[in-house]
Amino acid sequence: MTDGRKPLDISSALDPKSVAVIGASRDPDKVGSIILQNYVSSGYAGKLYPINPNADEILGFKAYKSVLELKGKIDTAVIAIPAEFVPKVMAECGKAGVKSVVVVSGGFSEVGNTKLQEELVKVADKYCMPTIGPNCLGVMDPRTRVDTLFLPTYKISRPEIGGVSFMAQSGAVGSTVLDLISGEGFGLSKFISYGNAAHVDETDILEYLIKDRETKVIVMYLEGIKRGKDFFEAAKRASRIKPVVVLKAGRTSAGIKAAHSHTAALAGDYEVQEAVFRQAGFTIAEDLSDLLYYAKVLESEKAPKGPRVAIVTDGGGAGVLTADAIASLSDLKMAEFSNTTKAAIKKTMPPLVNAANPLDLAGDAEETRYSNALSILSNDDNVDMLIVIALFQTPGADSKLASKLIEYKEKCEKPMIVISIGAEYTETHKKMMESSGLPVYDSPASASRALSALYKYYQFRSSR
Amino acid sequence: MTLLDYLKAKQLLDKYGIHSIESAYVKSAEEAARFSKGKPIVLKVLSGKALHKSKAGLVRLNLYTEQQIASAYKELYAKAQKLRPYNILAQHMSESGVEIIIGGRTDSQFGKVLLIGLGGIYVEVFRDFALRIAPITRKEAGDMLDQMRSSNVITHGGKNAKQIEELLMKVSALLVKNPEISELDLNPVIVTEKGYEVVDIRVLK
Repeated sequence: MTDGRKPLDISSALDPKSVAVIGASRDPDKVGSIILQNYVSSGYAGKLYPINPNADEILGFKAYKSVLELKGKIDTAVIAIPAEFVPKVMAECGKAGVKSVVVVSGGFSEVGNTKLQEELVKVADKYCMPTIGPNCLGVMDPRTRVDTLFLPTYKISRPEIGGVSFMAQSGAVGSTVLDLISGEGFGLSKFISYGNAAHVDETDILEYLIKDRETKVIVMYLEGIKRGKDFFEAAKRASRIKPVVVLKAGRTSAGIKAAHSHTAALAGDYEVQEAVFRQAGFTIAEDLSDLLYYAKVLESEKAPKGPRVAIVTDGGGAGVLTADAIASLSDLKMAEFSNTTKAAIKKTMPPLVNAANPLDLAGDAEETRYSNALSILSNDDNVDMLIVIALFQTPGADSKLASKLIEYKEKCEKPMIVISIGAEYTETHKKMMESSGLPVYDSPASASRALSALYKYYQFRSSR
Repeated sequence: MTLLDYLKAKQLLDKYGIHSIESAYVKSAEEAARFSKGKPIVLKVLSGKALHKSKAGLVRLNLYTEQQIASAYKELYAKAQKLRPYNILAQHMSESGVEIIIGGRTDSQFGKVLLIGLGGIYVEVFRDFALRIAPITRKEAGDMLDQMRSSNVITHGGKNAKQIEELLMKVSALLVKNPEISELDLNPVIVTEKGYEVVDIRVLK
């Protein structure tokens, strides 16, 4: 069952050979000018065409009065002009053979101007021109160096190249999470803020990200879903190929009014959407921070063979708290070490180290003790996943330990994550590990939930 | 929205192999007594004007003797006069077991939605339920049970899991093949170690 529309292809907006920036001007503070400047600063290698009827040259580029002067030469047009002029300019884009459009301008249905938005959709349809927006931040891809964000780089950092793609309806949530991603060790594949979703909607974007090879994990922040059945079909397909993490706003919105049955009273709109995500195998986030917690463990693309977790720690208390957090999640279990493991621990560790899970290496543990423990546990068939607690406040923990853990992350076939809690000194090491693809968490609760999400996802995938 | 006649709704369930408790409309205390065949019965007034039967005092449980049946019939008959058109439904008493709800509704975005929940009068207090978009697969029926905190209580430690999964599949098929149904409540469905029995049905078109 579908709602019966083919996906709109947005690939030309993310990997264009040429871009027209409509609304760039000699005034550097204008949105269009910031966008043009961002393309330049990010090192975009394709052709840039500023469009402005009142300028000959902008930022050293020859300016054109209209896209009609550039027939067949433009892959994508970014439009940042007052709303009322947008449909007319889009029609010109259509005539000039522009493949896709990003409308950054606001002033459409979000302020009640639905008529103008309908006009925009009509033009987009007439010229078969996939249109992202209006009222959006647009798109960003650190690989192709596309960047339509009108937020200056000093205000919001741009993430490194990576495997996580993030789509968000809301520009504010989008830019906030983008800023947070740039502070994490993992990088970004695509960022797509799609605003009012007047033409290109969440299902089109999902379809694009399913196919996109650089995208390892899809992260989405949704406010609404336009084509439910198409979305559901795409969602089910997505999870078989790559993990999807979703945060949906609107949990508290009033459900069905005056329900006649218990079923209708229980199954409100949010509950149904959550069921859709669950049935499709999505990882459901409760909060913005969850998006990052889940994304980084899923990006590692390592499938756990089972639910059994081993904890290695240099702090007894942190080990117990983590074991408690594992026990509170119904799908994870604490691993029971094999006899071979127990014997090996007794042989290689100082006598004060007890061969039990959590494996407490004691406060004076340094990289060699961790290394011994990890090589033993990575060979234990009773262990499916590893949590390494590295408290950098202890005397033995320093950058040598961080390097050792990175080394094991490469060697060990089992999923492995780190918990490090602390201020500056810890942060430095956290960055070091994360930028090498080793996920680091700042609490037992977030780490355990991340492993649970990882386990559930691969369980789901192997069972379909 | 209109409420489908109880016995028609029961027939609809029969068609999909969904087992519901033996029921008949009765027009007199004698007919009710004949229906009981010596077994305990329940009498209920069904009327579109009273959707919450228990709250309105329109249900009498556990009627054994002819005398009990006669007095309950007389009482319900009197109450029903204000609720015309109505029917008085006689049902055999169900075995005791865990009460669950199985339901469905039509969502404007995603289509038919299937629900299973811990039932009884605390449905909306415990809110222990699972939803899926119909049609579901057998695996998804199992997922629905796994998702609930009370899954072990409902399946009696897994003993009737197979029957409940099959029941979910049947209700899923019923919903998909009858698009005009906007809401469906099978509540309660009594589950025991051996299986289940649908005790009350509400189908809204």
